[in-house]
Amino acid sequence: MSARRALIMHPSDNVATAVEEIHAGEEVAVPVRGSVLTLHAAEPIPFGFKIALQDIPRGGIIRKYGETIGKASLAISKGALVHVHNLEGTRARGDLAKGGKP
Amino acid sequence: MSFLGYIRSDGSVGTRNYVLIIPQGIIAKSICDFVAGTKSILTVDHGSGRTANDREQIARLLIGLGRNSNVASVIVHAASPGVGYPELRAERLADEIAAGGKRVEVLDPAKDGGTYGAIVRGIQVARMMVHDASKLRREKVGDEYLCLGVKCGYSDTTSGIAGNPAVGYLYDKIVAAGGTALFGETTEIIGAEQALARRAVSPDVAEAILRAVTIQEERAKATGLDIRTVNPVPSNIKGGISSLEEKSLGAIHKAGTTPIQGVLKYAERPTRKGLYFVDNWMGHLSIFAGYAAAGANVVLFQLGGGGVAGRTLLEGSPSVVAPFLWATANPKTYAAATDSIDFYSGTVIEGTETPEEAGERLYRTVVDIASGTLSRSETLHYAEPIDMYLQEPRF
Repeated sequence: MSARRALIMHPSDNVATAVEEIHAGEEVAVPVRGSVLTLHAAEPIPFGFKIALQDIPRGGIIRKYGETIGKASLAISKGALVHVHNLEGTRARGDLAKGGKP
Repeated sequence: MSFLGYIRSDGSVGTRNYVLIIPQGIIAKSICDFVAGTKSILTVDHGSGRTANDREQIARLLIGLGRNSNVASVIVHAASPGVGYPELRAERLADEIAAGGKRVEVLDPAKDGGTYGAIVRGIQVARMMVHDASKLRREKVGDEYLCLGVKCGYSDTTSGIAGNPAVGYLYDKIVAAGGTALFGETTEIIGAEQALARRAVSPDVAEAILRAVTIQEERAKATGLDIRTVNPVPSNIKGGISSLEEKSLGAIHKAGTTPIQGVLKYAERPTRKGLYFVDNWMGHLSIFAGYAAAGANVVLFQLGGGGVAGRTLLEGSPSVVAPFLWATANPKTYAAATDSIDFYSGTVIEGTETPEEAGERLYRTVVDIASGTLSRSETLHYAEPIDMYLQEPRF
């Protein structure tokens, strides 16, 4: 079976967006600067959701569009789904401003 | 690079040719029910108990709608004859609209035989206005007379990858042709404001962009909430967007790549051509009427996919006098509501079109609608009420 497709928006991104449904264990192909990066999905990545292209430590910056979209609230392994369970925004956080835990 | 439009006496060009009756109320509604080719508005807020700043914002919306190039002539009725707030008095609204060069008539129940009398006179005046307006013919004009307004909503990751880039191409093309393009949604540039500030034409404009974001971010923090419980909205998160920053960075693609000429208030008219950032709120019931008041003669809603399951009919948002287009890049949304959607760019995700090719197709769609083809939502009478963007407390 051919690899599933995911796209990056900028060469410095460490996550890619699935543009088709990706099942656990499937090979994923990500076009990067004229070549293709391949990896395996560690879990299902639904259409429109993000897959980690590398291991990202807890607190590490998550980049899409070449910009910061948040940081890892848990250690994230290459091939894992990246979403609200392991990514947290850093902006307009009233909960943090009020002394809440990150 | 041209469309067929109605050339107005002030040199602007309309894509439609309406008679507008403002503000809302039984007089305006009755005239619109009776006379073809008329438009009015629907809001739940008449300014009562509002601060001077907010009343001025309401006045700016009403005056701006009256001055929109899609309006041939205007009837203003006195909602509170002789006793209204000064900002919202019929004579003031009428004078400022007429300063733009178009015919404006005032109905005053105190002088026109009460509410019934004002309705009867309004019907007579509106019929002649509509008849006169119909004598005008469309003429071929350049794209510099287009003024666009856009918002993206129900955003998912198709918005950032394939929907907004097509709009961005359109925006670049219209601005390059000398036209005007408006984008906004201040909350939804948080995280992307530095990228926008770098595109400002001057340090003052860059500062204004950053200031608008700071004020909005401070308001958000003052709530004590994790912004993700508010925005991204649940449909965004369901669509794969994980943070406000991610949403913002996808959202700004709809603004293209040209320099930002200035920062406008809600319903404020730009003084020059080019791309402007509007310090407004994302709500679709609010934003499009504001763009129309700022002069937009075509508006677009770039739609994602989250939360639209089962919505096979999309009813459009209140843009009053500006034709309203639905665009999406989400294949599921398009499949569900094909006959409501004016433009589809999921082709970029499917790999059958580049963003530029899709953007070119969007440009042709916009020119077509600007020239008189009805947008899908224009085929419906239904109009939702306007939720005016007012920021100060009520007393």
